[in-house]
Formats: sequence, structure tokens, C-alpha cells
Amino acid sequence: MIELKDVTVRYPNGVVGLDGVNLTIPDGQFVVVVGLSGAGKSTLIRAINGLVPITSGSLTVDGQEVSGASKRELRRLRSGIGMIFQSFNLVKRTSVMNNVIMGQLHDVPAYRSLVGAWTKEEKEIAYRSLERVGIVEKAWTRASHLSGGQQQRVAIARALAQDPTVMLADEPVASLDPPTAQMVMKDLQRINRELSITTLVNLHFLDLARQFGQRVIGMRAGQVVFDGTGAEADDAVFEQIYGRSLTADDVLPGA
Amino acid sequence: MTTTASSTAVAPARPRKPRPSPTLVGGLLAALAFTLWAGHQISFTLAPLFTNFANGWQIIERFLQPNWGYIFRVWDAWVETVAIAVVASAVGVVVGLVFAFMASRVTNRSPWLYRAVKIVLSVIRSLPDVAYVLIFVALVSIGSLAGILALIMFNIGIAAKLTSETIDAVDAGPLEAADAGGAGTLARARWAVLPQILPNYLSYCLYIFELNIRASVVIGLAGGGGIGQVINVQFSRFNYENVSAIVIAMFIVVLAIDQLSQYLRRRFV
Amino acid sequence: MTAPAARTARPQEPSKARATLVWIGLAVLLGGAVWLADARWDKLPGLLTQGWKYFQLMSEGVLQNPFTEPWSGYWTRAFDAMMESVYMAWVGTLVGAVLSIPFGFLAARNVAPQWAVQVTRVVLNLIRAVPELVFAIVIMLPIFGFGPIAGTIALGVGAVGTLGKLTAEALEGIDPGPVEAAQASGAPRSAILRWAYWTQVLPEVLAFWLYRFEINIRASAVLGIIGAGGVGTLLSQLFSKRAWDQIGITLLVIIAVTLVVDWISGSIRHRIISGGAVRKDAGEREQDKAEVAL
Repeated sequence: MIELKDVTVRYPNGVVGLDGVNLTIPDGQFVVVVGLSGAGKSTLIRAINGLVPITSGSLTVDGQEVSGASKRELRRLRSGIGMIFQSFNLVKRTSVMNNVIMGQLHDVPAYRSLVGAWTKEEKEIAYRSLERVGIVEKAWTRASHLSGGQQQRVAIARALAQDPTVMLADEPVASLDPPTAQMVMKDLQRINRELSITTLVNLHFLDLARQFGQRVIGMRAGQVVFDGTGAEADDAVFEQIYGRSLTADDVLPGA
Repeated sequence: MTTTASSTAVAPARPRKPRPSPTLVGGLLAALAFTLWAGHQISFTLAPLFTNFANGWQIIERFLQPNWGYIFRVWDAWVETVAIAVVASAVGVVVGLVFAFMASRVTNRSPWLYRAVKIVLSVIRSLPDVAYVLIFVALVSIGSLAGILALIMFNIGIAAKLTSETIDAVDAGPLEAADAGGAGTLARARWAVLPQILPNYLSYCLYIFELNIRASVVIGLAGGGGIGQVINVQFSRFNYENVSAIVIAMFIVVLAIDQLSQYLRRRFV
Repeated sequence: MTAPAARTARPQEPSKARATLVWIGLAVLLGGAVWLADARWDKLPGLLTQGWKYFQLMSEGVLQNPFTEPWSGYWTRAFDAMMESVYMAWVGTLVGAVLSIPFGFLAARNVAPQWAVQVTRVVLNLIRAVPELVFAIVIMLPIFGFGPIAGTIALGVGAVGTLGKLTAEALEGIDPGPVEAAQASGAPRSAILRWAYWTQVLPEVLAFWLYRFEINIRASAVLGIIGAGGVGTLLSQLFSKRAWDQIGITLLVIIAVTLVVDWISGSIRHRIISGGAVRKDAGEREQDKAEVAL
């Protein structure tokens, strides 16, 4: 369970990322966070695994306080939280296998990780993660040889290899074409259902948000302005979240 | 914008030509003054080029008649030169890589260690290779070990500087992913950074090897072994024909290694 | 893309044979080199104790009151010798810089005719392949005799190779727009070269000159050991006398002066590149290239 109590994030340049946010996300939920860019979606996701330190308030993941955790505690905490990025963030010059094993580096001893001497079990976990996103045939391909959609699946596999309880996805489909975006979202949904991993996804396409969001959270200027089911999130709600009338850019084209 | 008071003038006043900035003028004057002062201090003159050319030419003429046979008489020294360069490059680039990781904010998150390593590296780089050879000759006596140790110091400086600048410029995405996965500092450097810098690093390695071959003249003159030592001996015995034969052979070796490393760069990098 | 349900077979892990062979090859090469280098490896263990001993001797010189005799004399002598190296580097770099301008234009494909480019590039490559030390020994010492001038001219000639090459590359990378504009207005060739080409590359070229100056400071010390003046000459004298206290002082002066000059030159370079050039990124890229090339 993820709990935010009155969480505020103020960046060093004075910009307020989160402004007194209160949220409780029970285990296994599939949450979609929507809002304009700069509304605080990204900050919310990055605060949960401590990539962005919170300024005040309390943020706990499974009872463990994120802010104030020591480096070691933070690394252990992060190892239980998978993360997926808009730009995939794969190391393009190495194999898919090495990229996926990067998800397990938190408990590979240094002397083995330095030379890349992976054990059978580590490779087995990587294979299974790749199988779950249906891309195992590319295991030994260089990441730079994959298409955008394939790279994002490898990134999901990397997060899965961590054996996480929480999955965070920051605009995971913003760099993908519509059919691929659908497929990646379905992968995330399936993983959420099969493994009951709590999943938070940032999106700005409202049709995807409605389609996949078991729960939809709307953010504006660092505050939560809507919290309900995907069915409740009609156009009026989105206009309120976005603070303007909807345009064709807000829906996934061709989906 | 100022306009003239008279109503007939429609065109705005022409801007005055800006004065050259005082820093620029001051800088140029300082450079000029320093040039004159420096030239005066070393009594710079090109006069010998005209007055002493005939005398000098007699010696240069001897250089122009290389004793080709001598090149292979000192075969051992050539082998030694290449061996020195191989050992010094290998050790230098490996240690340099470790320093490079510590000399970039991307991979070193301790501000203290970062500053300390930066300072150590600038000090290492500020000493010329000759100084290192002289130091190590005093420590381990004349011979190739002194040359190897001196070149290692020299190589660490260059390898660390070039590589750490490459590390500064890597794509931050994989680093963020490694952080989000809870990877430790070492694992993060090995798997999120190293693959990204590897092509550049390998080409620095080849470049450093080339530099080491070129430097062998200097190294040997100061007592660090290899072909430079032969040049030193022949030069002090006024055997200019032998010196020029070696210099020409050296030139060909450098060109050959240059070609080889360009080939390797294309092939592997 | 296959549906996730349809499990595809796991691919065979690629063989590591090639990587292993490369590593073995490198190991053999290194082992052979260690063997063939004919080094007194047995002296290596003593390095630390010896080094510590001499370090203490050097520190003794540095830690004496520098305002009393004879220490004040040592400091002055080291400083004067180092400054002589700096002067040699400065004048030498200027000589090389001036000579490199015509070479640079002649080696740029978008300025000079094809045959001139080919010939100039060969000349520049020849110069680059010969160490300054060789210029000094073979040509400069016979004519100029022992002393700083031989070293200065050798540094200058040595600088022509790299500076000419980098100037040519900078000229080839200019924005062709202004050149076309000048040609369209019927400007003479000399005016085009001066205003359309030279103004565009000036900041970068100045930065290269300064960078070469930093390099030449180190190179001028090298020339000192064959008697071409500067701190190298002093250093080799001191080492042959084994005057460790003075060596310590001299090394410290070398480090301090080099760091200060590097810092000044580096900040001017950054100013020139970021202040003068519109193509800031290009300028910085050029700098990276220069650092590898110089």
C-alpha cells in the first residue's frame, strides 16, 4: 500500500511539483494519473521511489517511509519498485539480456556484476520476464536494433526482473505509435492482473486513461483535482482537470 | 530610441559605432605586451637563420645522408620501444578508467572524493613526461622500467581526462533506470555508463598507444630505455647519420601504427 | 510482433568464444611486452620505500623558509627557468600560429583547389608525425645553437602540423551562406576569405592556439633536456646532481605555474568560444576534437 499524507515537493528552483497531496493506493490497484505536462504527474511518480525527494509530509510504501531513508534502505526500497520511462532508458549498446539483468543488480555482488558473470538463476529470471512481455526471441539482440515498442517491452521486462510489488510508469506510451501504445498498455494491465502488482501510470491521452484506469487521478498545478473510476471520468471531468476544452490532441489518434 | 526634435526628420538617428569592449582591448594589449616581453626574455631572433645557416647546414647535410644499415642493427631497441608502449598503455588506460569514473559527477556522487580526484589529476597532468622519466630514473635507475613508470603516469592523466569528459556527456536515461532499480554505484557505472562510453574509450586507448610510441624519443633521451636511448648515445657521439636513419624509421613506424589503429578503430569501434 | 500467449523458443546464448579469444590475445600481447621490455621488474617492490625517502628529501627543500639563503635563490632560479619555458611556449605557439594560417587555408577543401589540398595535407601530416624534439635536434640546434631560440622555433614548427589541420577542418565546417552572399555581391576573392571565412572560424582558431600553448608549455620542458633552455635544462642538471631539495622546489614551481597558466588560458578559451561564436555547440565539439588531435 502506498500512502501520501500532505506531501509537498518544492524543487530547488522554487517550482512546486506537488502541493499538499493526500492519496492512498491499495495493493494491486491499476491507477492512471492524468494532467497536463507540468501538473505534477511525473513528480508524484518519482517521489514514490525517492528519485525526487519530498519537501514535507509523509510518503510510505508498504509502511516504509521513503523520505529520510538511508542510501542503503532507499536502494532496497527501490529494488521492490519497478519503473518504466517515456524514453525507455535502455543501454542501447548492450544486449537485451544485460539490460533486463540490470533490474536485478541490487542483489548481485559487485565482483560478479563487474565482469558480467550472471548465474543461471539470474538469466532464468530475465528469460521469464522477457517471456511475460513476449519478446524472449530478442534476448541476445543489441537493444539498439529493436523498434520503439520492442524497447519498451524490454524496459517492462527489466522492471519485472526486479520482482516488484509496485510498478511505476512515466508516460510509457508517449513515444510510441497508437497500435503499439495499445499493446504496451495491455501488457501493463495483464501484468497487473496476473501478478497483482500495484501499478501507477502517467498518461495524457484521456481515452487510454478511461480504457485502462481502474482508478483515475487527475492532477492540476501539483494538486489532486479528481479521484474516481475510469467510468466516472467523462469529458466534463477532463475539461476540469485540463482547465480547457478538449481537443483532438487529447485522444490517441487512430485508436 | 531617441528621435530628433524636428518634425521633418522621419528616420531614427543612426546608432553610433559601438566602441570595442574594454576587456577585448585590454586583452589584446596584454597579449601584445606579453609577447614583446617574452620575446625579449628569450632574446628571440631569427638572425642565425641567415648568419649561421651555412655552418648549420654542414651538420644538417650529415643528417640528410642516413645510414640505413643502422636501423636493423638496433633491432632490440625497437622491440623494447614497442614493448614499453604496450605495457605503459595497458596499465595507464586501466588505472585511468578508474580515475575517470571518480572524476565525473555522473558516476561519483561524493562531492569530496570528486574534488580530490580532480585536483590529483590536474597535478598529475601538469608535470611533463620528462619530469616523470627523471624522477623514475632516480628511483629505479636508468632503463625501461623508468620509462614504463613515467609513461604510466602520463597516460593516467590523459586517459582520465578524456574519458571523464565522455562520461559527463552520457545519456542520463539508463542512469535513472539503474537508480530506479536500486543498483549500487559500481554496478551502475559498469552497466549504465561503461557500455555508452566504450567506443570512445577504446579509441582513446589506441590514441594513447600512438602517443607512447611517439614519446619514446623523449623517454629514451632522459634515460627511460628504448630507441630514444640509442638516439641519445649516437647524438652525443656526433653520429648524425645513424640518428637520422633512426628518426626516419621512427617516422615510418609511427605512420604504420597510425594506420593500424585507424583500421582497428573502424573495425571495432 | 507475436501475441504474448504464443511462447517463442528461447534463443541460444551467443558464443563467447570471440570475446575470450580477444582477451587471451590481449593477455598474450601484454605478457610478451612485459617480457620483451627488458625492464628490471625486481626493482618495482622497492619503489614505494625509495619514493617515500626521496619525497621526504624533496619536502625538506620545499618546507625551508623560502626567504632565506640559499632557499630563496632556489625558488627564484626555478621560477625564472619555468617562466623561460612559458615564454618559449608562447613565442613558439605564435610562430606556429602565424605559419599555420596559410597552411590551414591551403588545406581546406572549400577554399583551395584539390591538388593544393592534397599537397598541404601531406606536408601537415609529415610535420605532425615528427616530434618537436626531432626538429630541435636535427634542424634547429645546428643553426641556432644551444639555448631557448632553437627550442622556440622547434615548438613553432611542430605546432604548424596540428594547428594547420584544425584550421582547415574549422574552415570546412563553416556556414556556406555568407560565402554565397559575398560571391553574389561580386566581392573579390581576398575579401571573401577575410570576411566570410576568417571571421567565422576566428573564435575557434584562437581557442586552438591557446590550447596548443598549454600543450607547448609541457613540450618546452621536454626540449630543455637537450639543452634548449627552460625548466627542462634546470631539471636535468638538478637530477644529475641529485639535489633533491632543489628538485622538490622546481617540481612544485612547475606544477603551480602550469596549473595557473592552464586555468587562465582555459577560462579565456571558454570565453572566446561561448562569447564570440554563434555556433556554440559546434565550437565545443571542435574543442573536443582538438583535444584528441593535439
